[in-house]
Parts: sequence; C-alpha cells; structure tokens
Amino acid sequence: MMDWRKVWVVTRHEYLTNVRRIGFIIMTASVPVLGVAVLLFGTFFSGQARQLGAYLEQQFEVGDKAIGVVDGSGYFSPILPEYREDFVPFESEAEAEAALQAEEVSKVLLIGDDYLETGRVVVLSTGSGFDAAVISDSATVRAFFVDHLLTGQVDPALQARATTPAKVESRVISSGGETQSEGPWGFAFTFIIPYFLAIFLVMTIFTSSGYLLQSVAEEKESRVIEIVVSSVRPVELMAGKVIGLGALGLTQVLVWVGSAMGFSGGAAALLTVAGAVSIPTRVLVLGVVYYLLGYTLYAILMAGVGALGATMRESQQLAGIFSFFAAVPYMISSFLFTNPNMTIARVLSFFPLTAPTMMMMRVPLAEVPVIDVVGSIVVLLISIPAALWVGAKLFRVGLLIYGKRPTLREIWLILRSDTAFRRT
Amino acid sequence: MIIQIQNLTKRYGDVVAVDDLSFEVERGEIFGLLGPNGAGKTTTIRVVMDILTPDEGSVTVLGRPPGQAKNQVGYLPEERGLYRNLKVLHTLTYLAELKGVSRSAARERAMALLERIQLDDWAARKVKDLSQGMQQRLQLVASLVHDPEVIFLDEPFQGLDPVNVERVKNFIADLHREGKTIVLSSHQMNLVEALCDRILLLNHGRPVLYGPLAEIKREYAPNIIRVSASQIPADLPGVAEVEPDDGAFNLTLAEGTGPQEALRGLLDRGVEVQAFEISPAPLEDIFVAVVSGEEA
Repeated sequence: MMDWRKVWVVTRHEYLTNVRRIGFIIMTASVPVLGVAVLLFGTFFSGQARQLGAYLEQQFEVGDKAIGVVDGSGYFSPILPEYREDFVPFESEAEAEAALQAEEVSKVLLIGDDYLETGRVVVLSTGSGFDAAVISDSATVRAFFVDHLLTGQVDPALQARATTPAKVESRVISSGGETQSEGPWGFAFTFIIPYFLAIFLVMTIFTSSGYLLQSVAEEKESRVIEIVVSSVRPVELMAGKVIGLGALGLTQVLVWVGSAMGFSGGAAALLTVAGAVSIPTRVLVLGVVYYLLGYTLYAILMAGVGALGATMRESQQLAGIFSFFAAVPYMISSFLFTNPNMTIARVLSFFPLTAPTMMMMRVPLAEVPVIDVVGSIVVLLISIPAALWVGAKLFRVGLLIYGKRPTLREIWLILRSDTAFRRT
Repeated sequence: MIIQIQNLTKRYGDVVAVDDLSFEVERGEIFGLLGPNGAGKTTTIRVVMDILTPDEGSVTVLGRPPGQAKNQVGYLPEERGLYRNLKVLHTLTYLAELKGVSRSAARERAMALLERIQLDDWAARKVKDLSQGMQQRLQLVASLVHDPEVIFLDEPFQGLDPVNVERVKNFIADLHREGKTIVLSSHQMNLVEALCDRILLLNHGRPVLYGPLAEIKREYAPNIIRVSASQIPADLPGVAEVEPDDGAFNLTLAEGTGPQEALRGLLDRGVEVQAFEISPAPLEDIFVAVVSGEEA
C-alpha cells in the first residue's frame, strides 16, 4: 500500500530542486537559444545567404557564359536557333582554345568525326576535370545533343520526351491507402523533423534518468538516505523520484518542442520551404508512448543501479551498461535512413533496452510493420514490472550498503533472498 | 508501553546480528541502548524504524507495526548527513513533510527549532556553509522537526566538542522534561549514566543487562566503601585493604563481608564516622566487566 501523499512530497521536492540546477537550465535553454541564433543569423545575413545559394547553384550548372563547339561530325552544324545564345561554333580547335583563353567561352566541346559510333566528346576548360562532369550532367547540354541529333528525324513530342525522359514528383503510399504529395523539400522535412524530435526525446530520457541516478547517489553518499527511508518506504521514494524527474524531462521536451514549433515558422520562411511541415499523428502518438515506456524502464533501472554504487562516480560507472545499450540504435542510425526496416533494426526493436530508442527513430522514417509496434510495446510492458521488481529490491538493499559496492554474487543473493528483503 | 520487542532475530546471510531479543521501552523514559561495536544496536534501531524487516519475532511501536508508526518516530542515525546543497530551512521542512506534516506546519516548527538551537540566522543558507558543530545540531533537530513521540538518538555525542556535548545533553534533558520518550545509544557511559532511566546492554545480538540503571549499578556495586573519618584502625575484621583517598578512606571489603557489617565494626571500635558511602561502580566498569566476562 503506497502513501501517495508522501510520493507527492518526494515528486515535488525532486522536481523543484532539479529544475533549478544550472545544468538543467543550460540544457533546456540550448534549443531555444540555438533557434534564436539561427533566426538572427538568417535575418542579418539573408542577402549573403542568397548569394551563397546562387554560387552553389552555379557550380552545378554550366554557367551563364556560352560554350564553344568544334563540330567534326556534322550533326551540330549549323547550330539550331534556340541554342545560338548558349553555344558558339568554331572552325578549329586552335580558334576555340584562343576564345577559351580570352574567356569568351567557359568551355569548349570537341566533337570528333567518330561521334555517332563512339559518343566521344572532349571538354576543354580552364578549370578542373570537374567541369567535364558538370557538362555530362547538365540538362542544357543534354538537350543540345538530343535536339541536334533528332530534329526532323522523329515526332517532336517523342523528341521532347527524349530530352526530358521523366519529370519526377514524389508520392508516398501508406498502408492506409492515403497518399501525400509534396515537393522534395516538404518530403524531406516531414521525415527529418520527427526524426530529430525522436532523437531529442531519447536525449531527455537519458538526461532525466541521469538526474535520477544522481539524486539517488547523492542521498546515499551524504547518508541522508537513512533518515529518508525511516520516513517513507523505498518504493514510495522510488516512485516519487521516477515521477518527479520524469516531469522534469517532460518540461524540457515541452520547452524544446514549443520553441521548435515557434521557430519552424520562421525557419520555413527563411528556407523558402513550400508547405507547412506537419508531424503525422501516428508519429506523435507512438512517440509519446515510447517516450513514457522508455523513460519508465530506464528510470527504474537507473534508480536500482544508482542505489548500488558507494559513490556518485561508482553509480555512474554501473549505469554505463545501460547507456551502452541505449547508444546501439544511434550507431546504426545512418543506415536507418535508407532502410528503416532492416533486420538488425527490427531485432533491436524487440529487445527491451533498445526498443524505445530504436522504435522512436524508426517510426518517423517509414511505415513500420504493425507486428514491430505491438511486439515492442508488449516487450516493454512486460519488462517494466520485471525491472520494478529487480530495481526495487536493489534499491532497498543498495541504499543501506555503505562504503563498498556489492559483488555480483551478493546482488544475486539479494535478488534470491525472499525473507530478508521481502518488503520492498 | 511505547515500544515492545519480542524474540527479535535478524540475520545477514550467515551472520546473526540480533539473536532472540526481547525488551520494552516505557513512555516518557530515557532508555539507554548500549553495547560494543557490532553488538546489534543499529540493526535493532533499523528494525524499529522499518528500514529492515525482522527475520523472526515481533516489533510494535505505539501498539502498531513499525511501518505504520513512522510519522510518530524520530531518528538521528549514526551515519550523519543532510542535503548539502539545500537551504537549512528547506531541509528541515522537507524532512518534516516526509513524516506527513503539512508544509506550513513544517515550516513553522522548523523555524521554532532553529531558534532554539541558535541557527535561525542561518535558515536561508545552504547546509554546506554551516560549521561541523552547527551541522550536528541541525541534524539533531532534523530528527524531531515533525514533533515525534519517540526519538532514537544513535551516538548523538559522537564527534562533538565539550561545549556542544553539554548543549546536546541539556537538549535531551529538555526533551525528556517535555514528555518525549528517548532511546539513546552511546559509548559515552558518563553521559548515559547522567541521562538514562533504564538500559539494555547488548553483546553479540543478545541482551546481557536489562533494567533500571540504579538497580543494575547496585547489583554490580563493588566491595568498596568510602568512609570519612579522622583515622581508620588497621586491623578491622572483614576489611582487606585501606586506602586513603582525598581526605577520606576507601575500604576494600573481604569476601563475605557486607557494607553494614563493616560499618558496625567501625562503630564498635569507636571510630567517629563522619560520612559513609557505598561507592557505586561506574557504568563504564560494569560495561567492560560484563562484556569482557562474556568474551572470556
């Protein structure tokens, strides 16, 4: 039987003392401050930013200067009227080279008499070999070749298709049959923003369970724990800490999400992203579910482990085991973008210590199989009472072991012993 | 009866910390819980505080199981410590709230207690800014900020300078006068003697002495009498040794001779006895004698 009034006293105490910690304030303020910085930077330097954008774009296009053509094959003489502004014919290679040196043209295409058989085209430029690559990828240059080869030979509609074989537009079909059609930017943002949100959530799980570890270890190290457990039952203390510090983590998330939403309007305008970036309800709901389950599991384990260490440092070392498991999904996160349903990601979604983080990262990226969602939630729902059982025992016993860390054998005996520590 | 312990046994693995222990603490008394290190005192206290659960036997506090009496019991643990980064008043308020006291009542009582131990000027300071002696005093009032009926003080004089020992001693005496029941565990036998009504001496988890202090001391009175007289004849019957001591004489009695017989002998010989006293054994001597007798 829990005394919920005492749980509430612990909850409020933990929340109020930790919310004033410098570390928490800095961490929580980091996202809004970063957002303000980005917006200010964007406003002050928007002119330069646009120039930078134009410069980058230029690097991937052929540029505004004309391209010289030395035609040995005959297919490109005379140059069609619509290309005369961008392409200038030269009689000889030497003449074209002189024009290139004089910067009258940006590049020169040398088309040999074996062009039809080999397709060989030499690109002369003053820059790097990179220019040749740009030429071969340039839509303008491709149109120049296709149009000169096919004009008068085929149906104009067919010719137009040969120049631009496909105009791509993205459309994602979900299992519900709904479709969403957005520009490529909107598409990317719909996935990237929830994905980073998931990473933020994962971070708060670890910051708040880290605070939990710290709060337990501090009470133990300062010995005040003996007074505390003579006033409240260990399970009440643990519950109060888990709830209070969970609320602390949630505060952080709300500040982050709130400021991100506030700034995203500004950021969207700045990046001229068409269309609002929306987070699908499914991602939001599952995000909250995994957040709560994940935090509860980790918080209970951290409380149990925090109680075992004789000092803060020792408790943190012990908790390192869990941090390692939590980091595993991060390690494979770069592969997740290409295949969110890869086998290893699915396997990790069924393992309790990695399930919350893994699923939080996968859900925004793709339609995750229902079995994975249900399975991971069931695994977590089973693991939490198990963790509570183990965690509460370790917590109760660990609290009163001073000066030394119990050995693995002692921990095992504690877990097995049924009479001595029956009442957790 | 405020605390009743019957056949309490508590083991840690193979080690028996408390072995079939029974005793009672009466309302309003100062009860001394004594014993060498490792005798089982702290374990016993922790069971009464509901920090540990007994393996066998029963414990009632104010007629209830320990878990249901937590709010009426105060505890100064031997292992000292408070929240170092919390403010003094906040610390006391929180600890009182954990004992079920409402926030406003907790704050009021905390302020009153801080005044009583002359720490009211430090209420808004952090605990870590306090001196060692101040922290000890704060720790002491932390155990009674919720106005408990019973207070367990485990080594309250440990590490205190003589001035603070005197302060704490007077503080305990005041609490006693207010009608609180106090269970005192200490190695300072002179202070136990000065304060306690009844004692329990534990060794290896078992009781070796239990009862009113005066009775125990009488029982263990050594065969020495102290006589004030101008002089003592050398060949008194039943007296083994005569030793002058600060204007008086300590007479060690022979086996089988009682103090009254010795007095009669003195009067018979015409000695003018100005004062006659059966010198009690210091509790410390009883403690050492009983415990080392057990070891032998």
